[in-house]
Amino acid sequence: MSTGIDASSSAAGRPTGGLAADPPRRWPAFLRAPGGAAGATMILIVVLLGVFAPLLAPYGPAEQIPNANLLPPSSAHWLGTDEVNRDIFSRLLFGIRVDLMVVFIAVPFGALIGTVIGLVSTMYAFADVIAQRVFDVILAFPVLILAIGVTAAAGPGVTTIIAVIVLAEIPVFGRLARTSLLTVRAMPYVESSQVIGAGNTWLLRKHLLPNSLEPLVVQFGVSMSIAVFIEGAMSFLGLGVRPPQPSLGSLTRDGIRNVWESPAFVVGPLIIVTLLVLGFLLVSQAISATRRV
Amino acid sequence: MYDSLVDVPIDSVEPTPSLATDWKLGDDGLSLTLNLRDDVKFHSGRDFTSEDVAFSIKTWADPKWTVQFQRTAAAITDFDTTDPHTVVLKFDHKLSNVFDLLDVLPIIDSETFDGLGEGKAYVGTGPFTFESWTPQSELTFAKNADYWGNEPKLDGIEVHIVPDAQSLTSQLRTGQLDLAIGVSNRDVDTLVKTGDFTDTAYEGSERQYYVGTNVTNPALKDVRVRQAIAYALDRERIVADVFQGNGYPIVAPWPKYSPAYDEDINQKYSRDVDKGKALVEEVGNIPTLSLEYSTGSPTYEAIAQIVQANLADIGIKVDLVPNEHPTHIDRLINGKYTALWILDHAYAQWTPSTLAVTAYPFNADKNSSNFVDAKYKKDANAAWEVADGTSPEAVEAYRKVTEDLVENLFLIESNVTWIRIPVSTGVHDLAWTKRSELVLTDTWLDD
Repeated sequence: MSTGIDASSSAAGRPTGGLAADPPRRWPAFLRAPGGAAGATMILIVVLLGVFAPLLAPYGPAEQIPNANLLPPSSAHWLGTDEVNRDIFSRLLFGIRVDLMVVFIAVPFGALIGTVIGLVSTMYAFADVIAQRVFDVILAFPVLILAIGVTAAAGPGVTTIIAVIVLAEIPVFGRLARTSLLTVRAMPYVESSQVIGAGNTWLLRKHLLPNSLEPLVVQFGVSMSIAVFIEGAMSFLGLGVRPPQPSLGSLTRDGIRNVWESPAFVVGPLIIVTLLVLGFLLVSQAISATRRV
Repeated sequence: MYDSLVDVPIDSVEPTPSLATDWKLGDDGLSLTLNLRDDVKFHSGRDFTSEDVAFSIKTWADPKWTVQFQRTAAAITDFDTTDPHTVVLKFDHKLSNVFDLLDVLPIIDSETFDGLGEGKAYVGTGPFTFESWTPQSELTFAKNADYWGNEPKLDGIEVHIVPDAQSLTSQLRTGQLDLAIGVSNRDVDTLVKTGDFTDTAYEGSERQYYVGTNVTNPALKDVRVRQAIAYALDRERIVADVFQGNGYPIVAPWPKYSPAYDEDINQKYSRDVDKGKALVEEVGNIPTLSLEYSTGSPTYEAIAQIVQANLADIGIKVDLVPNEHPTHIDRLINGKYTALWILDHAYAQWTPSTLAVTAYPFNADKNSSNFVDAKYKKDANAAWEVADGTSPEAVEAYRKVTEDLVENLFLIESNVTWIRIPVSTGVHDLAWTKRSELVLTDTWLDD
């Protein structure tokens, strides 16, 4: 007797025996691509480590342990201890939370503002001119130069990192949204709708936004990975989080300071940064690929 | 590149000859006659004379330059330069630390001074002459074949500016550098273990790390809060973990060989969390304090984090605020810190009166803590205005200054330490001054 799943599988012309290894059809298409699944798994692992940090970490992130100065990795301290006697593994888990908070706040915020500006730009010529010139100015600065400028004005800290990422992402999403909307607006079916009297709001809701989303979603994944990099670079340069708060960038910097003592000090944060950056990139690539199919 | 009139050796406060061969203090303690060497030439070829001494001291005293020891230089009010090889300095008042000034003050060439101000000409009488300067990159010096002292054995010196600590260590390991300044204690230990480097510690040129307090901050106005911080500070741990045992804890700023050193006073604020907590509870309601530190060295950040944990132990919450090093120094000079800060100072290695009239954090007239106190000012000036800086009268005056420092605790000392540098085993006869400057006159290299 066939189940519903068997029926859909048969309809797709696939042998029934292959079902056990394939992801269910109800999963998003990008997760059914090998790269997308791998990327999502990487992100999921890191997110889980961060979310459950208080349960998994043997010590507090700022806890200074007596007589534990720069200890090498051991069963008591999996990644060793740092120069002020803190357990590096515990700091790594809590550092993940800081990075996740930064990327999950800053990138959506930057994407939203950028997209809205891009949208308005396509509707009003005057707004378009102003927005494009402002984007030119922001994009003229490499991200780290922008970061140094913002930090000089606002001081280092998590808020500053978020501000830098938002500022860096607004023109990216603004330009992309504008280009996509203009492309879709020139499509015959949109013009037909306009001819038969469709209003701007209806057009936006029904045609323009849904059909412009694809590149924005792909860019979102890329931006998440770039945001991890920006946090890492800023904290590495001392422009990011303030001690004793850990982040992946500050942990890398601390580890490199003592790399001659033990390379193990820097391995943990580098693995997590790699997982996050690679994970977001694989997912965005998979989204892009599956949309094109 | 530059010489001074006297050299104060690294292990005492008694001067020895340099450009001045001998000297005599006036009976009233208000003048000093220095006989100068007659065989010294500037790098430009011009003879060194007593006029150059007068010019150098007057320049140092000019308030348009930001230099320490300025008050001491300004207290020299008259110069007799009739004899080109003898100079008589006349003082506004007795100066117990005049030889400290004469040790620190470089003899500069008046004819090229404008070029010095513009960063273009560096003309002294020292064993090496200036050759080139590439900002943020490199300095080169050549041997001064006409040097009045021992002829330098090195043909020249190349100074490379390497901003990254890891690159610095790598360049040492690969033999690109013979020695380096600015390597962390831990990396010095690692390099010495390779067998290719020796550990050179600038003993006698001590530095003292401390927690500064802005006493005009409402929370820090009460001396009991400052006492609580002094009790909370884990000096032994800072010496062990941050300086790998290179140094010792202190409460008063003096190194062990100083005439002002007092072991009993150094025990006064040994770490006692209960006493600290009791003082905090007595005062009640202390707001979160900012603790500023320089990003110029990981040492400051490590100490700041230990101090933050120490103060949390007694119930004082602290926010760490990193400053760029130039900003930090600007705040030091102008007393602009909000609450607490971490830094190190020198000047305790000379005559003790020097510290209270010269160093920005301690200057009784105007200091980084904005601490104004008539008794401290009186005691600091009394110690300064003694003719002989090592006399029993001077030592008694230093005791009073020390008492003022420890009673008022506007600066809470942590520990003495000294700079350590890794030096290749192929480098010999390296020396340094009390000012933490390398002396390479007699240095030679293996073939």
